[in-house]
Amino acid sequence: MSQSRIIGAVDIGASSVTVLVGDIVNGRSLNIIGKQDATSAGVKKGEIIDFKAVSNATHAAIMGAEKSAGTQVEGIFLSQTGNHLEGFFNSGAVNVTSSDNRVSQGDINRVTTEAKSKKLAADRLYIHHIRNHFMLDGRQVGDPLGMEGEKLDVGYWSVHGDERKVRDHIHVINGFGLNVEDIILSSIASGTVIANDEEKRAGVLVIDLGAGATDWAIYQNGVVRRTGVLPVGSDHITNDLALGLRVNRKYAEKLKMTFGKATLDSEDMQEKVWMVGDQMIGDRRIPKQALIQIIRERVEETFELVKKQVGEGCSPKELPAGVIITGGGARLENVDLAAEKVLGVPARHGELPEWVHPNLHQPEYVTALGLLHFALSGQSLDDNQTQRRERGLLRRVSHLFGV
Amino acid sequence: MDELNQGSQSFSGTLTPEGVRLKIIGVGGAGTNAVDRLQLDPNESVNLAAVNTDAQALEASPIGDKILIGRSVTRGMSTGGDVEIGEKAAEKDETTLRQMVDGQDLIFLIAGLGGGTGSGVAPVIARLAAEQGALVIAFVTLPFTLEGARRHEIAENTLAGLRTHCDAVIPLPNDLLLQQMDETATVLDAFAQADAWIGRGVHSICSMLTQTGMINVDFAMLRKVFSGADGKTLFGLGRGEGKNFLDEALNDLALCPLLHTPGFARRADSLLVNIIGGTDLGIAHVNQIMASIADKFGSKEQIVLGAVIDESCQSTVEICVLGATHTSGYRPERKARRTAPIEREPSHQPQKKKKRKRVPDDELFGEEGDLLKPQVHESKLGKKRQTAIDLDQEEFTFVAEDEQRGFFDNTDRNIIDGEDLDVPTYLRRGVRISL
Repeated sequence: MSQSRIIGAVDIGASSVTVLVGDIVNGRSLNIIGKQDATSAGVKKGEIIDFKAVSNATHAAIMGAEKSAGTQVEGIFLSQTGNHLEGFFNSGAVNVTSSDNRVSQGDINRVTTEAKSKKLAADRLYIHHIRNHFMLDGRQVGDPLGMEGEKLDVGYWSVHGDERKVRDHIHVINGFGLNVEDIILSSIASGTVIANDEEKRAGVLVIDLGAGATDWAIYQNGVVRRTGVLPVGSDHITNDLALGLRVNRKYAEKLKMTFGKATLDSEDMQEKVWMVGDQMIGDRRIPKQALIQIIRERVEETFELVKKQVGEGCSPKELPAGVIITGGGARLENVDLAAEKVLGVPARHGELPEWVHPNLHQPEYVTALGLLHFALSGQSLDDNQTQRRERGLLRRVSHLFGV
Repeated sequence: MDELNQGSQSFSGTLTPEGVRLKIIGVGGAGTNAVDRLQLDPNESVNLAAVNTDAQALEASPIGDKILIGRSVTRGMSTGGDVEIGEKAAEKDETTLRQMVDGQDLIFLIAGLGGGTGSGVAPVIARLAAEQGALVIAFVTLPFTLEGARRHEIAENTLAGLRTHCDAVIPLPNDLLLQQMDETATVLDAFAQADAWIGRGVHSICSMLTQTGMINVDFAMLRKVFSGADGKTLFGLGRGEGKNFLDEALNDLALCPLLHTPGFARRADSLLVNIIGGTDLGIAHVNQIMASIADKFGSKEQIVLGAVIDESCQSTVEICVLGATHTSGYRPERKARRTAPIEREPSHQPQKKKKRKRVPDDELFGEEGDLLKPQVHESKLGKKRQTAIDLDQEEFTFVAEDEQRGFFDNTDRNIIDGEDLDVPTYLRRGVRISL
């Protein structure tokens, strides 16, 4: 008999809460059976500022998703972003103990524990330890067990966050009576589905332009090398427009969606657009040039800041597979050109793999799809994961990513 | 200055000798320059003074009443941008400064923040003036983002200090003023622009006090508006000329950049509106202006209206809106305001808040639309009588915080490399957006 688990992927963003329901059959295949979006409230810059509003929006979205799936969700995978997230690279090294110089399980355990042993400040907690490749005497190896060598190294990209802010997210889900099975960084969730294995091996930078925050992740040799969060998103574009064009947020959002562009072309210079569009009293003509200039400044600055965070890794040599832009902000016309111009690396819009239903081929769903992907792969990894983390409230959410 | 004083004497027919004693004090280099450039009507009985630590700069100023302070600290040289030296200089010469502000009713303090003298001395003068019982209104320019994070920090600190002593503080961010400039503008033009804004503000307030208006506002009223107001100040100017001067002025007011700074109070608890127009300005016009302004800025306690007829201003109208919130403090204390009304009438709160949410920005920007709506006329009489129309104005009590200030204003500040990323990029980079 087939065994199925119903998993909910919840992406609480600044503009909308996206819930996808996946049916994981036998821990091997994934069917997406339900989806629901709800307008988000109470989230700014990726962080919860109004717990109640967020809870209401999220609960409504989960409920709608359960309804569309026709079944109840058993566990939730949750995305996490926000300025409080930080990452660092830590590595460990051990000498192989056995006399025949073959790596034992004990050696592997020792080196991984050592690499993850860095203590955090009291109010911080680990969200991910992302393992990079084992190195045996400087050789890159997939699984060193039983191989011969003298020195075993391993490095982890560890991401940690503010305990309270992470807990807030968990509480939102707990408030609905569901457990959070795992928390996954938005950038990693997006990156895992939007970039294919070949790109991840070669080296690729995935930039998820959310409403509240911009998340990025660099893949190299098939693993996540670095991640980062910039607390600037398309909400900022809207705010800039509202202030710069002296229109309210509603019209600023509308203008951004309808006429927004990340590059200024010569034909836009003289054009004027209507603010409301009904050309009635109260409507105003707004120069397209002003509109685009405001957006362009913000978008270019965002990429400049990403470039600064990434540092030296931001070059065509380090990123042969280029830059992939995704998230709701990817809808902005010519945003890829702006990214390419600033980052100096070829950039393109992300394309979801073919197995994803056409209905979900939208940049807003990428993070939630990535969460489901993790729900699936996390389960298939069960075998070699030594200890299944205890479920329930307020456990330490650290997760080991296998390669 | 002498000329100005003589001018005022000849005008004293309507102004008793015990009329309002006004003094405009420029502090520091930027403040002195601004006062130099003020183009005041000689009829306005205004005293000008300049305070600086830099003897050379002071020497060059045409202002009569020059006060060099901190000679013992700086030997007549400037503070070199050091606030502490500025403060020290002010302390050393406290007696001189006290004399300067002595006996004044209304003091305009004009300074450029971010440097040594303006930031160090202005709060001291504000304190002394307040101790003397004068009403203190400060116009201060804030440095350009490109001037660096340090100057910004100084300016922010000083601003907080000024807010505790002054009755009204009107910050003019240079970034924002640059937006009003042509691309070909020089640095000098940019500073002149800042000075022009200060000039318009000062002029508007002075003229409402010194000229007897169609609807007169006197000093007592001004005082009342700001009494106990140590929160934020709302300040906006709008000007219209030609055939549709009224619409133009209201448009201009709605587009006034000062009303769109994040962190600038957009709604006030008490509001003073002064209209300067030609003889063709009818009472109907005034009503129209009032109704639309009350809608936009909402004042739960009072709106004070002044209208001045200036015969040289045919077919033009200038509207000056000056308001104050009665909550004290800068960011942290504002939280208190939110809870207070809820305690008072918990049952009404949610409904009203909801209503409010829909109204403010739509109304603020849909300027022409407002004017033509009939209900505007229904409410105008009440507003003119300065009594808050309870039904209408109660609504303004519960304004969502983020609508009052920028969208990100109640979140943590987003500082990276000394720049607040929540502030629009084009403003920080000085990119001019022409509407």
